[in-house]
Amino acid sequence: MSQREVTQRELDELLRSQELPPLPADRVKQIEIALTANLKPVRPLAAESVYLAGFATGFIALCAIGCYFAGQSGWHALNSVQKLCVFAPLGACAALLVFSIVRQMTPAAKHVRSSAVLSAGAFLLLFLMMAAIFRPVHELEFVRTGVMCFRTGMTFAIPAAFLFALLLLRGAALSPALTGATAGGLAGLVGLAVLEIRCPDLNVYHIVAWHVSVTLVCAVGGLVFSVITSQRRATS
Amino acid sequence: MTVIEQLMVRYQQADEDAARALIEQLSPQLYRFFAAQRLGNPDDASDMLQDAWLRIHRVRHTYRAGEPLLPWVYAIARRVRVDSYRRRRRIATREVAVEVLPGAPTQTCDAGELPPFDQLIAHLPSSQREVLTMLKVNGLSLEEIARATSCSVGSVKQKAHRAYERLRGVLQSQRAEKGGAS
Repeated sequence: MSQREVTQRELDELLRSQELPPLPADRVKQIEIALTANLKPVRPLAAESVYLAGFATGFIALCAIGCYFAGQSGWHALNSVQKLCVFAPLGACAALLVFSIVRQMTPAAKHVRSSAVLSAGAFLLLFLMMAAIFRPVHELEFVRTGVMCFRTGMTFAIPAAFLFALLLLRGAALSPALTGATAGGLAGLVGLAVLEIRCPDLNVYHIVAWHVSVTLVCAVGGLVFSVITSQRRATS
Repeated sequence: MTVIEQLMVRYQQADEDAARALIEQLSPQLYRFFAAQRLGNPDDASDMLQDAWLRIHRVRHTYRAGEPLLPWVYAIARRVRVDSYRRRRRIATREVAVEVLPGAPTQTCDAGELPPFDQLIAHLPSSQREVLTMLKVNGLSLEEIARATSCSVGSVKQKAHRAYERLRGVLQSQRAEKGGAS
């Protein structure tokens, strides 16, 4: 054969003309019998807007409950610029995560990954903003107060994670790792929002180490939990 | 709404005839999707087909009327393929080979022929293989593939382009070898 160029047409022809093994007819019959036995009607998943509202309401309600019980000293300690720099990216990050998570509930939805990546970007922006606007302050009880804050954040993040998991059960998430990390991250943001409103400590190290870490721990926790449960389900 | 989308809506409403019709219409192309990517023997492809239908059945409520059905089906199918591959890999690490069974004779091409599809796409990374299979074996559009794989249309185009380039390179080198040998 001559060493001429392989043309696009030739390649297309080759790919189209391939013969694949025939589909076993008995297998199709088996599938039909299995699926049509006891076939029951199902209620289609509600519109996306319903779930967007559900997640957003859950997020806001849990933040409000957290602020009511934990206090609002942090809010009063922040000046206007700091409030804007903290809560604008936090809100953007939460909104993008809610959007992404609702999309992940349906197979073949658009913009699933891009919104998750954008929310990670918004979170990075939040992190950088916090590192830039807050200053290091010497603290005598860095670990003790920090652990207290972390525990408070987790106290609100964990119920949020359960609530989001309940909403997610109705959907069909096809990427358990991404869905787990997204839901965990959103629950972690509830904890972070409560801490930012509650805690008057403006030491940058305290905020980064004990407030922001709530979100990261929750995102990693969600990822690990969903990967383990999906692997168990697949094995069984 | 297309015919298969109407069938899907009726399947959600527990119409047995619609369920059967949908299974009969979609199974051949789903089977081709699994078989073309050559993850093992043909039994694996039919097992994956069954898994895919069971999963479609379980999550059939997540299909929203009016949305394109094929990307929804293929998104589930590719998840089944990934899970099946992982499961088989996990089993393979625990299994000990006791004897080597004679393998099926591999199809080789003569000097004048082009190689079989499975041999050809074995040179591609899995993401490119998947896109090429959906595009050329299953006949999905770029937009449908983009939705099924949660990628942008641009990314699908890029994968297809890279796959083509790679295949062209493989074929070119095979021709060169054969030309040199003869």
